[in-house]
Amino acid sequence: MAKLYIGLFLLGLTVACGGGGETASEVAPEAESIAATPETPQSSAPDLSQSGSVTGRVSFEGEAPKMARIRMGAEPSCEEKHGGPIYSQDVVVNDNGTLKNVFIWIKEGMDQYSFETPSDPAVLDQDGCLYTPHVLGVQMGQGIQMLNSDQATHNIHPVPANNREWNISQAAGQEMTRSFPRQEITIPVKCNIHPWMKSYIAVVPHPYFSVTSDDGTFEINNMPPGDYTIEVWHETYGTQEQQIKIDPNSSQNIEFSYSG
Amino acid sequence: MDWAQLWEIAAKPDNIPIVALLVLIPFFTWYGFRQALANDRLIARLENDKELAKTHNRKLEPYREEWDQKVYVWPYLLRVEFFVAIVVTVILMIWSITLNAPLEEPANPNLTMNPSKAPWYFLGLQEMLVYFDPWIAGVLMPTLIIVGLMVIPYIDLNPLGNGYYTFRQRKFAILTFLFGFMVLWLVMVFIGTFIRGPGWMWFWPGATWDHHRLIFETNRDLHEILGITSGQPWIGLVGATAVGLYVAVFGWLTHKLIVWNEFNRKIYERMTLVQYLTLQTFLVVMWALPVKILLRLLFRVKYVMVTPWFNI
Amino acid sequence: MSILRKRPRLEDRPVPEKDPITTSSLATPIAIFSLLLILTLVWALYDEILGLRPWIGYQRDFVKTYQKALVEMKPVRAQEEAAIYGSNEYQELEQALQEAETAIKPALAEIEQEERILGPKLTAITKPFTTARSRVQAAIYLLETANESSKASLEEDLQKLREGPYTVEIPEPDGSLVEKSYSYGEMEEEFNALKVKQGELQARTVELVRPSTQLRRELNTFASARLTSVTEAQVEGLLTRLDNFRVEIKQIYNADIGRVAANGQTPLVDRCESCHAGVREPVILTPETMGGNPLFASHSNRELLTIHDPETFGCTPCHNGNGVATVGVKEGHGNYKHWLWPLYPKAHFDAGCLQCHEADRHLELAPTLNAGKQLFSQRGCQGCHPREGFEPEPRLLRSVQKSILDLRLERNEVEQETQRTISTADRAETNEEADRLYNQADALTLNIADIDTQLDRLTVREADVMLEVKKVGPNLKEVKTKLKKEWIPVWISNPHDFRPTTKMPRFRLDEQQVQAVSAYIWQSGIDVELPQQSSGDPQQGEILFETRGCLACHSIGEESGATGGTFAANLSRVGEKANYDYLVRWIHNPKERTLPYCPIHQRDITPEDYASQGLPFQFDPQHAQCPLGDHLLQVQQPTVMPNLRLSWDESRDVASYLMMQAHEDAAYPDAEYLDDSNLAKQGQALVKHFGCAGCHEISGFENEGKIGTDLTKEGSKPIERLDFGLLTTQAKQEGWYNAKGFFDRKLADPSVWDQGKVKEPLERLRMPNHELSSEEINQLTTFLLGSVESVIPTTHHYAPDDDREEIQKGWWLVAKYNCMACHQFSPGQETVLENLPLYQDPDSRDQLPPSLVGEGARVNPNWLSRFLRNPALSETDTNRNGVRPYLKARMPSFGLSDGEIQQLVRFFNALSKQPLPYTAVPPDPLSSQELTMARELFTHQAAPCLRCHATGDAATDADSSAPNFLLVPERLRSDWTKRWIVHPETIRPGTNMPSGLFRQQDQRWVFGLADVPSLRSYTKDHAELMVRYMFQYTAGEQRRLTSR
Repeated sequence: MAKLYIGLFLLGLTVACGGGGETASEVAPEAESIAATPETPQSSAPDLSQSGSVTGRVSFEGEAPKMARIRMGAEPSCEEKHGGPIYSQDVVVNDNGTLKNVFIWIKEGMDQYSFETPSDPAVLDQDGCLYTPHVLGVQMGQGIQMLNSDQATHNIHPVPANNREWNISQAAGQEMTRSFPRQEITIPVKCNIHPWMKSYIAVVPHPYFSVTSDDGTFEINNMPPGDYTIEVWHETYGTQEQQIKIDPNSSQNIEFSYSG
Repeated sequence: MDWAQLWEIAAKPDNIPIVALLVLIPFFTWYGFRQALANDRLIARLENDKELAKTHNRKLEPYREEWDQKVYVWPYLLRVEFFVAIVVTVILMIWSITLNAPLEEPANPNLTMNPSKAPWYFLGLQEMLVYFDPWIAGVLMPTLIIVGLMVIPYIDLNPLGNGYYTFRQRKFAILTFLFGFMVLWLVMVFIGTFIRGPGWMWFWPGATWDHHRLIFETNRDLHEILGITSGQPWIGLVGATAVGLYVAVFGWLTHKLIVWNEFNRKIYERMTLVQYLTLQTFLVVMWALPVKILLRLLFRVKYVMVTPWFNI
Repeated sequence: MSILRKRPRLEDRPVPEKDPITTSSLATPIAIFSLLLILTLVWALYDEILGLRPWIGYQRDFVKTYQKALVEMKPVRAQEEAAIYGSNEYQELEQALQEAETAIKPALAEIEQEERILGPKLTAITKPFTTARSRVQAAIYLLETANESSKASLEEDLQKLREGPYTVEIPEPDGSLVEKSYSYGEMEEEFNALKVKQGELQARTVELVRPSTQLRRELNTFASARLTSVTEAQVEGLLTRLDNFRVEIKQIYNADIGRVAANGQTPLVDRCESCHAGVREPVILTPETMGGNPLFASHSNRELLTIHDPETFGCTPCHNGNGVATVGVKEGHGNYKHWLWPLYPKAHFDAGCLQCHEADRHLELAPTLNAGKQLFSQRGCQGCHPREGFEPEPRLLRSVQKSILDLRLERNEVEQETQRTISTADRAETNEEADRLYNQADALTLNIADIDTQLDRLTVREADVMLEVKKVGPNLKEVKTKLKKEWIPVWISNPHDFRPTTKMPRFRLDEQQVQAVSAYIWQSGIDVELPQQSSGDPQQGEILFETRGCLACHSIGEESGATGGTFAANLSRVGEKANYDYLVRWIHNPKERTLPYCPIHQRDITPEDYASQGLPFQFDPQHAQCPLGDHLLQVQQPTVMPNLRLSWDESRDVASYLMMQAHEDAAYPDAEYLDDSNLAKQGQALVKHFGCAGCHEISGFENEGKIGTDLTKEGSKPIERLDFGLLTTQAKQEGWYNAKGFFDRKLADPSVWDQGKVKEPLERLRMPNHELSSEEINQLTTFLLGSVESVIPTTHHYAPDDDREEIQKGWWLVAKYNCMACHQFSPGQETVLENLPLYQDPDSRDQLPPSLVGEGARVNPNWLSRFLRNPALSETDTNRNGVRPYLKARMPSFGLSDGEIQQLVRFFNALSKQPLPYTAVPPDPLSSQELTMARELFTHQAAPCLRCHATGDAATDADSSAPNFLLVPERLRSDWTKRWIVHPETIRPGTNMPSGLFRQQDQRWVFGLADVPSLRSYTKDHAELMVRYMFQYTAGEQRRLTSR
C-alpha cells in the first residue's frame, strides 16, 4: 500500500523537477548461503618411539568391611571347587593394605590418537560359580571370550547403559565370544541362575588401562608422552582422578588411596 | 494522536480514491474558477469596448490583436488530450502494480465486520442513513438526486452561460451545485471514511477506533423534546406542523435567493410556474439534509415527524 | 507543467509576444511522461516476471546449492559403497553367484546348440503350414454352409487340400536344405512336435538359471539393506536430474482433500515446493548442507511423510498456510489479515495433527500434542471447560440413566396396551377378530420381555459407568474427617505456596472470600467419627512407600529434591494437612466412601436410610442398590488412585511415614470462623461461581454443570470472538493479535484481559492461575490451536473401524490410569519407575514391573481380563502380586469397570495384531514316556528353569525372579511360549530369561545345554515337548518336582 503513495510521490517529484528515474519496487529476499562444512579432527596412531609408562598402587585405609558369605548350596558342583567358605568380592583388601579389583585407565588425553582393536580376545571365565577376573578391561570392539569351566549351566547377562543388553545361557564347557562397541565404565555382568555371580567389564577406546592385582599395584606401559587425566574406579568406592605428565622414555609412579 | 490508526484508514486500498478525491476536487474547483473568473473579466471589458469586441472573440485571456482569432483542434487541443492520456496511464499503471484488489476472507454469516462500510462512492448514502429513515435516505433521496440532475437543463434559462467557463452567468447554478456536491456529498463521504469507526460511532480523526468504546447518546423525537407523548394523532400533528413550518421558512428563503439580485430576477421573470416549483421543491428538500444533520448532531433529534407510516 | 507554479492574476500579467497556445510547446512534458510511461512499463514487466514470482530466484539458488552439496557428498557415498562391496559377505555372495553361473554354462550351451538346430526348422515349416491351415479351414467352412447339391464336389476339394502334398525345405544342422513333402496331417504333426520341443528347451533353461537368479537377488538386496543413504550412482542420477531441472511452479493437486469451508470444498492446490524445493529429496538436506539456508532443507520427519504421502495430503492440510499463493513469503504462509488458516508456528507444528487425529489420545510422532492433552486432563481443565473426548463418563452416565427411564415408561405403556387389546379381544364380535387381537397381545407381551432384557443390560452398563466416573480433585465431603481445619483457608488462598507442583489452581479470591469458601466446604462435609487407628512404624512405612510403587504417580521431596511421578500430588508436606485415621483408611482402600451418594434422591444415603428399610448399612460395587428405590448409588470415591491391597498394618506404617512429612515450623492460624453459618452461605455462592464442583465432589453440587467455554473448536474461533480487553490495540501494534497470542498470555496469567478494567469482583474473569511453566503453556497452546473445526473432509480423518480403533480407545484408558508410569507400552518409552534412584543398580532392575510390549501376543485374553479385575489372582490372599509375587512393586487393583477391562484386553490384542475372540488351542497331551522325558529335561541339572521361576515354595520363592509355571496353562498362549523359550531375546531384548537354551538341529529344536540320555531317541522337537509339558503343569506335578 505504502508503495502506491511512494510511487505517486516519486511521480510528483519527477513532475516537479521534470524527469526522473525508476520507481521503487520489491525484490524477493535472497538467502545468502554460508558455506559451513564441519571439519573432522585428524586422528592417527600415536608415536611410541619414546614412550613412557605409569606404575602405582591403590592403598586402602581404615577397617576392611566384612564381606557377605556366598552360599552355593544350590550348586554343589561349585561348592566343592572351593574348599571352605566363599565371600563376596565387592571389596577385596589385600594383606598389604591395598585394594584389589580397582580399574585404572587414562580418562583424558588420548582423544587425538586412534587405536586399532586387538585381535586376540580378553577372557572371562566362570569358575566355581564366580566370574574371573572380577573386573575386566577391554578395548572397544575387542572380543571377550566367555568360558564355562564349571559343571553347572550359567547364563551371562551384562546390563550395560551405553551398549546393547543381552543374556545368553552357557552350558558346561561351551564357550563364545562377544564384544562391546561403545565405551562404558563399567558394565555389570550378572548370572540370573546364580544371583551372587558378579563381574564388571570396562570398555575403553585405547589400550591404556589396568586392574590392581593381589598386591594392589598396576602398570600401564608404552604411553606416548603428554599430559593425561588418569582415573581409578572401584565398584563400591567409586572413582578418583589424578593429572599426570608422561615425559619421553620415563616412568611415573602415582598413588591412589581409598578409605573404607 | 493515533497516527497508526490514521495511516491504516488512509492506506486502506478501498480508501485510495477518497484520499485522491480530497486533493483533486478542490484543485479542479479552483482551476475551473480561475478560468471562469478570467473569462468573466474579459467579457466585462469587451462589453465596454466595442472595438475590441469586433477584433477579438476568443473568450480567453490573455490576447493580442495580431493573434489568430481561432486555433485548430489539431494539434492545439489534441496534443493536450494526448498528454493527459499519458499522465493518467502512468498513474493507473503505478496504482495497479503496487496495489492488489482488496479481497478478504471467505464470508462468514455469523460474523459481520465492524465497522462494515459501503464502497467509497456510497459512503455518503450510508452516512445519510444515520439521519433519516432508511426509506428516505435509501430510496427517496437518491431518486431525487438523480431526478434533480436530470431536471437541471429544463430549469436552466440562461443560454449566455453555455459553452465556456463562466461564473457571472451561472452564480446560482454553480453555488447550488458546489453546496450539494462538496458540502453535502463529499463531506459525508469524508465523515463516513475518516470519522465513523466501530459501531458507526463518531471518532475525531486520529482517535483510536476502540471496539469497546462506550458513549452516552440517546436520540429523542421532536415531540418527546416538546414533551408531547399523548400518542397519535397529536404526535403526527406536531411533526406535520414542524415540517410545514420548515417548508414555509425555507421556501421563503429559497424564493429570496431566486430573486436575490437584478440578474436573478431577470431569470426569474422567464421562469414558468412549473419550473419555479420544481426548483423550489428540490432546493427545499436539499436544505432538509443539512438541517436534519445539524438537528441530530447538535440537539440529538431522531425524528421530526413520526407517523405510523413513515418518519422524517 | 507550469500550472503548479504560483503566478500573478491573469490581467496583471505581461502579455507574451507570441500566442502561447500556438507557440508554446508541450514537447518536454510529453517526453518526460513518455519516458515515465516506458519506465512504468519496465517496472510492470519486472513485477510480472520476478517481483511476483520470488520462487524463480529460490529455485535457481536451490539448484546451485544442491549441486554443490551433492558433489561434496559423492566421494563419501562412494567410500561407504566400496566398504560394503568390499565386505567379505558381499564377496562371498558374488563368488557364489559366479560359481553358480559357471556351473550351468555347459548345460546352457548345449540347450543353445539344440535351439540353433530347432529354430530354422520351425521357421521354415511355420509359413507353409499356416497357409495350408487357413485354406483347409476355409474349405471346411464352405462345406459346412454349402447346400446339399454342391456338398459332394466341395468334399473332394477339401480332400485334395488335406492330401497335399506340400513340399517344405527343411534346413539341416550342416546348413544343407532337404526337401520334404507332407500331407496336411503330417505337416501339422511335424509342426506341433517342433513346438513342443522348443517349449521343453525353454523350461530346461528356466530350471537351470533359477539358483543363480536367486543369488543375484540376494546380492542386490544385500547392498540396499546396508546402505545408510543414496548410492553414488543415485547421486549421479540426482545431479543429471538437476542439470535439466525446470524452473516452474511445483504443485500438488488433489480434489479429494481440499479445504471444506463455509464456501464449500475447494480442491487442494499446494505450491509450497515451488520455494521449499528440497522437501522431498531422497538425500536428507539440513540447512548446514544447503549453505545454511533452512528454506531448502528436506522435511524434518521422513516417517511422517511416508505415512502421509504428500501427493495425497499436500502440505497445508497439516501445516496450514496459503498453499496457492506464490507471490511472497508472507502470502504463502498465510500470515496476513484475511487468511483464516495461517501457518502453524514451529513450536506448534503438532497442532496440525489434531484435526484428523481427534480420536487419538497418543500419537507416536506428536510428543508436544500428547503432552498438551495429558496436561489438559491432568490439570483438570475439563473440570470447567467441556472438550470433546475428555471426561466423557458423566455425559455417558446421564444418557444411560435417561434411556433406562425412557424404557421403563415404554414398558408401562406397552403393558397397558396389552391389557387394552386383551379386553377388547374378550368383547370382540367374531372369533376371527378376537383371534387377531389375542395374537396382537402376545406380540406385545413378547415386546415387554424384549424391553426387560434391554433394561437389564443398561442397568449393568450404568453400574459400569458409575465406576468409570472420576474427578480430578479429592471428594470434599470427607474434609471433616480428612483435613486439619486450620489448613483449609491457607491452602485455598494460595495452593502453590504450600505445594508448588499442585494441580489445584490459585483462584482470584480476597481474604474474606477465602474464609467464606472454606467455611462452606467445611460445613458441607460429612460429620462422622472414623475408627481410631493405632500408630504404625514409619521406617517400615518409608520402605513400603518407596518399594510398592507409590512413587510412580506421587512424588516426595521439595523443589529440586523431588523424586517420583508428576501424575499425582507431591506428598512432601502431607503431614501438615491430613488426619492420620483418614489417611490409613485412604491408603488401605482409596475407593472407600463414608456415605454412598444417590443420584436420584440427590443426597448422601445415611445409615438411617438403610435402617428405615431394615437393610444392613453396606455398600460396594456388589451392593450398589439404593435402599430407597430401584436405582444405583455412587458407592466409590471418584478417584483414579488404585487400591494397592496393603494390609491394615502396612497401611498404618505408610500413613505414619506420611504424617511425618511436614515442616517442623508449620503453624496455622486457628480458623474458628469455619463454623460461621452466614459465612458458609456466602461461600456456597462462591463455590458455585468459581465452579469448584468441576474437579471436586461437593455436597449440594453433585450435578453442577461446567462453567467454562467449550474448547472443542477453540482453535478456529474468529479472532474477533477472542476478547483481548483493553490490550486489543497493543496486541495489534505488537503483532500478537492472534489465537496463539491470546492462549499464551491467557494461560500465563488468566486474569490478563481484565487489565485496566473496572469490574465488580464477581464479574471478573474466573479462570484461576495454574502457575504453568512456559513449556507447559507451549504444549497447551499447541493443543488449543489444534482444536479446530476440521477443514479436511471427514473421509481423510483417522477414524479406523478395525483393530486400530481399539488401540485409539485403549490409549485413553492407559492415560486415564497412568499405566505408562510403571509399564512400557512401546519400545523406547521410559517409565517413571525405571528412572527412580531405587532402580538404578543392575540387580534392582529385576524388580521393575514387566514391559507390556507384545502383551497381547503373550497372554490369553480371557486370563488377562481376570487378572485386570483382580491382579492378586486370589480372593483370600490379596496382599501380593498374582503373577510375580517376588516383585516388591505392587500391581494395584484399579477397580476397573467391565467395559474398561474389555477395552484394555482388546487394546493389547490389537497392539500385537491378535484376533478376538480368542480360542485357546491346548497342546496335545503327553504320552507317559514323553511325560517322563519332559520331567527329566525340565529338572535336568543343566536346565535352569526352576532356578529362577517360582515354585510355590515360600523359602525359595523369596529370591526367585520369574513367574510360577502353574500360571502357564491358563495365562499364556502356547505358540508364544514356544517362541519365548527358544528366542527370549528377540521378544524382549535384555530379559532375564537366558537365550540359547535350545539349538536348531535338522529342522527341530533340541535342548542345547546338555545331552539328556533319555531324549537321545526322541526325534520330535524338544521345545515343543517342553511347551506341552508346561501346559499340563499342575500343582500336583509341582509338588512332585519340588519334593525331589
